[in-house]
Amino acid sequence: MEAAARTRLLDRLREVVGDRYTLADPYEIRLYQYDSSPETALPDLVVIPASAAEVAAVVKICAEEGCPLVSRAGATGLAGGTVPVFGGVVLAFSRMDRVLELDYENLRAVVEPGLVNLALSNATRPRGYYYVPDPSSQGASTIGGNVATNAGGPHTLLYGVTVNHVTGLELALPSGELVEVGGGRAAETTGYDLTGLVVGSEGTMAVVTKVWVKLTAVPPQSKTLMAIYPDVRSAGNAVSAVVGSGILPAAIEMMDNISIRAIEAAVHAGYPTDAGAVLLLEVDGLPDVVQQLTERMVAICRQHGATEVRVAKDEAERQALWRGRKGAFSAMGRISTDFYVMDGVVPRTRLPELLDQIERISQRSGYRIANVFHAGDGNVHPLVLFDAFQPGQYEEVLKIGDEILKLCADAGGSITGEHGIGLEKRENMRYIFSEDDLAVMDQVRRVFDPDRRMNPGKLFPTDGAEPPRIHAVRGQRAAARGSITGEEPWI
Amino acid sequence: MKTEVGQRQDLAVDGLVPSTTMSPASVAAAAADLGRCYEEGLAVIPQGGRTQIGMGAVPHRYDVAFSTTGLSRLLEHEPADLTCRVEAGMRLGALQAVLHLHGQRLPLDPPHPEEATVGGLLAANTNGLGRGRHGTVRDWVIGVTVLYPVGNPARVARAGGKVVKNVAGYDLMKLHIGALGTLGVIAEVNFKVQTLPEASADMLAWFDTPAAALRCGHGLALGYLLPAAMAVLNREALGQCGVTAPRPWVLAARLEGYQAEVAAARDRVAAAAREAGGQVEEPAPMFWDAARGWPAAPAPAVVLRAATSLTGVPRLVDAIGTDASVMAQPGVGVVQVRPLPGMAEPVVNRLREALGPGGSVVVERAPAAEKASLDVWGPPPAGFALMRGLKASLDPRGVLNPGRFVGGI
Ligand SMILES: Cc1cc2nc3c(=O)[nH]c(=O)nc-3n(C[C@H](O)[C@H](O)[C@H](O)COP(=O)(O)OP(=O)(O)OC[C@H]3O[C@@H](n4cnc5c(N)ncnc54)[C@H](O)[C@@H]3O)c2cc1C
Repeated sequence: MEAAARTRLLDRLREVVGDRYTLADPYEIRLYQYDSSPETALPDLVVIPASAAEVAAVVKICAEEGCPLVSRAGATGLAGGTVPVFGGVVLAFSRMDRVLELDYENLRAVVEPGLVNLALSNATRPRGYYYVPDPSSQGASTIGGNVATNAGGPHTLLYGVTVNHVTGLELALPSGELVEVGGGRAAETTGYDLTGLVVGSEGTMAVVTKVWVKLTAVPPQSKTLMAIYPDVRSAGNAVSAVVGSGILPAAIEMMDNISIRAIEAAVHAGYPTDAGAVLLLEVDGLPDVVQQLTERMVAICRQHGATEVRVAKDEAERQALWRGRKGAFSAMGRISTDFYVMDGVVPRTRLPELLDQIERISQRSGYRIANVFHAGDGNVHPLVLFDAFQPGQYEEVLKIGDEILKLCADAGGSITGEHGIGLEKRENMRYIFSEDDLAVMDQVRRVFDPDRRMNPGKLFPTDGAEPPRIHAVRGQRAAARGSITGEEPWI
Repeated sequence: MKTEVGQRQDLAVDGLVPSTTMSPASVAAAAADLGRCYEEGLAVIPQGGRTQIGMGAVPHRYDVAFSTTGLSRLLEHEPADLTCRVEAGMRLGALQAVLHLHGQRLPLDPPHPEEATVGGLLAANTNGLGRGRHGTVRDWVIGVTVLYPVGNPARVARAGGKVVKNVAGYDLMKLHIGALGTLGVIAEVNFKVQTLPEASADMLAWFDTPAAALRCGHGLALGYLLPAAMAVLNREALGQCGVTAPRPWVLAARLEGYQAEVAAARDRVAAAAREAGGQVEEPAPMFWDAARGWPAAPAPAVVLRAATSLTGVPRLVDAIGTDASVMAQPGVGVVQVRPLPGMAEPVVNRLREALGPGGSVVVERAPAAEKASLDVWGPPPAGFALMRGLKASLDPRGVLNPGRFVGGI
């Protein structure tokens, strides 16, 4: 950014959010160059507003200055969604983290977007209610980020993903105007479903400043069982058998041997390190029903080759099993310096075939690939393990990622089930969408954001045109060794 | 394919008749047909089973009756994946019949499933009484193929996909659900489906006052064993469903789930009803079929739908007074109303006054002559400028359903 433009912008933003919460210092803004994906890029300025009104004022100033704007919440995004590849202003939501209202009589909560997902359920559980979507990152990711990515989680198999639990949004439109869309507390409203449209749009249409969500009664009991298998294929067959039996589990998760060993090294969840695969299955409901269903599932798992089935005896054991699953990604650090996570989806019946193909890719390429995934809905997270210090590995791993996503697409699936397209998968969009499909999406985007200033460089293919500021993990590693490259201005 | 129709009353919409009918038998043919409408600037009303064709404001123009019923194939159904892909003109009843063979269903229960097409189900966002537990149309659609009237042939574009979990690209399914065919013609729909519940049971509880029945329903909605469907009806509405009422109000509940769950739910509903002063019994077997069809009353009935919060329901029911038959869903926040002849206007006005901020009161059905004075959609909602922008961008010549939607869209 030109120095004069940057100074003018900085002055104007300071007037809105104050000096303390307008960051321009190169040291301070470095913190905002990354999320949980490998790519990084520096913003020009960072603002940390305290209210929707401040957000709106910031957005308006950016409109007047023609400046790109990127929303950033928990920064747990795995697709580079918050990485400001065109520079400009990053809007951080760490101060907008309040529960505004808990309206139990109407089964709704109204929250600010920076509220950490788990904090909401923690606030409502004492009253017997919870917020259903539970991404494994729920201790750090926020409701606003979840809305922008339409986050899923282990328990969204039965109860639906974020969009099924959001009933209204307050938005700061790219012009700086604040509008409330959706029914909020009411069952429905008239007009097009703008709420449903904006959920999952990854910050490319508007900034979310307030969220109305459903609260759901906590089931009286939940039971989790772990079924242990000699290999991934037999575990996969058991999944199909459970689903085919008419039982509706609340969650069905699978982990393969590499994942199990990483998890055990990190979390000690009690998983057997010699197993080929484990399944976690959960059912919830009335105690009698839960008991019956658990027995039925145990029988099915055994019939399909489980060497052992363990039912969590109490809440502590249950939590331990889930701690293992939810800590799976971070546990990879125990067995590899770096990992690259994918988020493909295939029709459930195509899972065994896909897992075989991934195994073959691993053997051919020599990279270990761990599999941790939401087996119930065919959403796989292959984790390719590599070492970014080794020249060329990152580039090779990206190619493996493309190959796996292509397999998912060709099997009638999708290139992302919950992490979003972001920066990372924008070129892969062409695996599943035609020119016409993308043209309509861009038309819709431009109704909100005619200049494409909101989170530019994301979600849509750029056909190889590198955004101006991108630095992959290789850049980070280089930086760690002391050779930082300069940044390009956005103006 | 284009046919001149003369005066086809059976294709009328609010008394207007088209000059042409198109009934394409493939998506490619539909794109060609719609492309021609775009080129010639013809006003198109897409239609399937016509079960909700009375919805919306009186169209500004109507040249072409664009029937989707030639697009009626089931394209894919992989039972083990619990998904299916169908052409938009397929009748919901026909789809359900196939799913039932595999012990599955789409848990959406609109009026007239034998005639209603899946495309119409989406466009009109017709939700039956089961929405409290099973959600609405938007919760079951995982992909769409839509024809947009830009260029000749029309542009064919997809969104979503065939898998149950998918966040690639914008969720344009949401845009078309409830859009009443004003943004595009839905050509194909991908659904996720559900395993049929193991058991179900129906119950009625009679009450003397609406307050007691609604309070009981609200309490049940807040608890864990949420009935699949719940409706509070007054005596008039119940009579229209073929049941004679020993008391003026009834709470009807349908319970679904595993056997043990349904048994427990039945005890819970009965206990809650008795505690609220209700008298419990099993309904006549045909009751739910009649209740399903009730909101789709034949002309010249006026049917209203008000949406509010759960706690807003009693206020709306109060505002209606004795001038209408009423079916309220205390677990959802929807009140459907059939005003007595001549009473539509005062009832609409009272409902809109009682509504307060948020929510809506929509005239779902009314004779064309009454529509203008009733203000079918009420005031445009927040975000209306965006809605107009979407319409202008996706249907730049305004050929689709001109004037039928909110705010004159
Ligand atoms: C260990 C781990 C496990 C994970 N498990 C899951 C999982 O099970 N399921 C799942 O779905 N995801 C998972 N994720 C991915 C990630 O947590 C989700 O994508 C999450 O929704 C991101 O939330 P966040 O608050 O961190 O958002 P960020 O990463 O800060 O932002 C994500 C996107 O949202 C946009 N955004 C943020 N706030 C706003 C706003 N207020 N208005 C408009 N746009 C906004 C950003 O611009 C960006 O594009 C996991 C990540 C990690 C690191």
